[in-house]
Amino acid sequence: MTVNVDGLSRRYGATRALVEVDLTLERGITGLLGPNGAGKTTLLSILATVGEPDAGRVSVFGLDPRDAAERVEIRRRLGYLPQELGYHRHFTVAGFLDYVAILKEITGRRRRAEEVARVLAAVGLEHRARTRIRALSGGMRQRLGIAQALLGQPGLLILDEPTAGLDPEQRLRSRELLSGLPGDPVVVLSTHQADDIAAICPKVVVLLQGRVRFAGTPAELAATAAGRVWAAGERDTRAHLSWRGGDNRWRHVGDHPPAGAELVAPTVEDGYLLLSHAAGAR
Amino acid sequence: MSVLRPRTVLGLARAEAWLLVRSLLVLAGLLAGGFALWLYFRQMEQPTWWDAAWRIGWGQLILGMAVLAAAQLAAGRVRRNGLADLYASFPATAPTRTLAHLAGLAGAVPASLLLAGAVTAVLQARGAFGTPDLAVLAGGPLLVIAAGAAGVAIGSRFPHPLAGALGALALLFSSVTSHLTSGAAIWLAPWQLEADQLANLPGPLAGYPPARAHAMELACLAVLAGIVALAVTVRHTRTWGGLAAAGLVAVAAICFAGVLQLRPIPTAGLNQLVSEVAALASVQRCTSASQVRYCLYPGFGAQLPSLEAPVDAVLAHLPARPAQPLTVRQVAGLSLPDSTLTHGHPEPEVSQWTAQVQRAPGNASAAPASAIYVPLAWAGGGQLADAHFDLALAAAEWAVRLPGAGGVFTSGEEFQPCVPVDQAREAVAIWLAILATHPPAGELEAGLGGLGTGRGFQGVEVGNALVPAWNSPGSGSVIPPGGGPQTTAVGYLLAKEMTGLPEARVERILDGAWPAWLNWRTTDARLAAALGLAVPRVSAPSLPPRVTGPDASPPQAAVCQ
Repeated sequence: MTVNVDGLSRRYGATRALVEVDLTLERGITGLLGPNGAGKTTLLSILATVGEPDAGRVSVFGLDPRDAAERVEIRRRLGYLPQELGYHRHFTVAGFLDYVAILKEITGRRRRAEEVARVLAAVGLEHRARTRIRALSGGMRQRLGIAQALLGQPGLLILDEPTAGLDPEQRLRSRELLSGLPGDPVVVLSTHQADDIAAICPKVVVLLQGRVRFAGTPAELAATAAGRVWAAGERDTRAHLSWRGGDNRWRHVGDHPPAGAELVAPTVEDGYLLLSHAAGAR
Repeated sequence: MSVLRPRTVLGLARAEAWLLVRSLLVLAGLLAGGFALWLYFRQMEQPTWWDAAWRIGWGQLILGMAVLAAAQLAAGRVRRNGLADLYASFPATAPTRTLAHLAGLAGAVPASLLLAGAVTAVLQARGAFGTPDLAVLAGGPLLVIAAGAAGVAIGSRFPHPLAGALGALALLFSSVTSHLTSGAAIWLAPWQLEADQLANLPGPLAGYPPARAHAMELACLAVLAGIVALAVTVRHTRTWGGLAAAGLVAVAAICFAGVLQLRPIPTAGLNQLVSEVAALASVQRCTSASQVRYCLYPGFGAQLPSLEAPVDAVLAHLPARPAQPLTVRQVAGLSLPDSTLTHGHPEPEVSQWTAQVQRAPGNASAAPASAIYVPLAWAGGGQLADAHFDLALAAAEWAVRLPGAGGVFTSGEEFQPCVPVDQAREAVAIWLAILATHPPAGELEAGLGGLGTGRGFQGVEVGNALVPAWNSPGSGSVIPPGGGPQTTAVGYLLAKEMTGLPEARVERILDGAWPAWLNWRTTDARLAAALGLAVPRVSAPSLPPRVTGPDASPPQAAVCQ
């Protein structure tokens, strides 16, 4: 057990962002799925020792973030990409990474230079090392954000929507990058992209209205929709959600099979949709 | 499991120092500070280190303002750029970063040293008198660091760039208003800009200003600002206690430095100063050149060529000199009572010093008819060319025996010069001074004020009439023989006409009847006729009726004789 979350709750005024969340995160990539406002960012910021819970406890590598010294020790093993990341626009790409490397206590100059070169190559920005951040595109800045999180080969990597703003090729490259991280770290990946989860996450957690509604493998999440996804020639208004696909046939996710429909294999997205619908009905 | 790693602090400090070194704001502050000092020192006749070392602080103050703004921007960078969450996830804590920002202020020190070093080198090359006081010069970098620490404290709490700009203005404000405080309290401002008499001292005066205590105050202010910056970022109660204790020690040290700065200047030093100001003959060294005596304070010999040049140029055109030789004497324009100098001393002692200084040459009366008094700071404010003209005019007035008699002290210490109304010798004196120093025509014309335009008429009442006056360039730079006359517009305009004639022709006509031209009864009309010129005509408004009683009109000036 590497990261353990036990009874975690957090409130913002009248809004309950997290409600008694229990979670165990093992080595490998865990996908965190949920709509906007589900509490994903709150959970990740608490895991990153930035936010503090109202109740419950977190243990990271056996360390308690409530203790100042242990909190610093957790941070020494942490890589974090917040959802909304600003930049020092007048810094160069390499200059910013070098500065962050010092903040991560990589104080040896040679090691720092090697580490900066490594993460730049990992995100494909090695040719932009001397470019000022203000001159980078949005996608490049997002890759720079991922690069800073990778500095120091962290044991716990928390990425809040790392693929937002990336083009399809960059998204695929980020999958390659995350699935090939050395040292087998604990990676928590928050995203709206269910196909990213299905592609690289051995485990997925669905967070809805501040509560964990599902924790298992992507296949298990997809399986929750087994027998509830159909393809038909006509639209059925009883379906929770239906859309016409590229083959001109309607895909229905719901509890009632439309007339003349044929059952199709569910996806992670279908499972997530049904969970989300069920939570909304409660 | 250590929270604070010195190597991290050092690494970050090095990065911050390097950012500060390359900061355009700091570069701009360095250039602006250097420019301000260049403006001040560029035409100073002979800088003295007891004055100049303190003036370098002006430039350091400007640099300090820039460093304050740059440090505020750096310290507020994380919050301003929306990186607070990311930085909160790093093992280097906010206090670590603040410590690094404070240590990184070392990056501003090279700029401060460069400024002080460059000005020191230039002043030394120009023969500055005395030796620079390291305690005064050290105050510069300390001020810059203290300003930077204040910037870090402000930026840690207020990330908006405006906060830094306001902080810099507050620093400037605290300095430019220092003269509003009384007595020695002006030294408690980061750098005082006015209300001192350093340029009027004939030598250094121990404890004036109290440089070591001032440097100590600045150092303690830097420490206190650093403690405040850390207090803004530290969350632990235990650390807060330590910071509060350190803050109290810093405040106590600042108070102690303040008390040291408010100590009275030693009596022996003031006695010595007053005697140097009042008894010139006992301290000055005199040399003769071209039959003119130049009496200067020890160490001011480098000023001799600058004094000789305009005087010699006037003498070269004279057909004959007055029987009584001319003496050009340096005087200290010290003014007492001055609470920055005499604070803490008993009233009788201060009164005695004040009386002695008021009797000193240059204060008590006009210079004798055969002497010109040159204040120590005679070309202050970069007006050397004007000061040279004023000296040449004074020498020319001695040569033509102006004012002779007529200048009087009116109520109190106010000297009312006589007016050479319709006297040819005035035009001759002005012509000699113009010939000797060739001042720009624009500056000469500016002395007429609003004459002929109907606006800003300047005149002097003589014999129930208004006489249009002419204020010569650099007027007041020296104290001319007998206090000097109030020059008239007609005298200047006639002299200007004379400069349009061949020099040899004018000299021939003057040589031919030199004693006559020196006679106060010889009129402008006679001189103009001799030269083939018309007497310039100027109109003056009619004089309002004179008032008697409590609101009486000022007394009329006398005609020079």
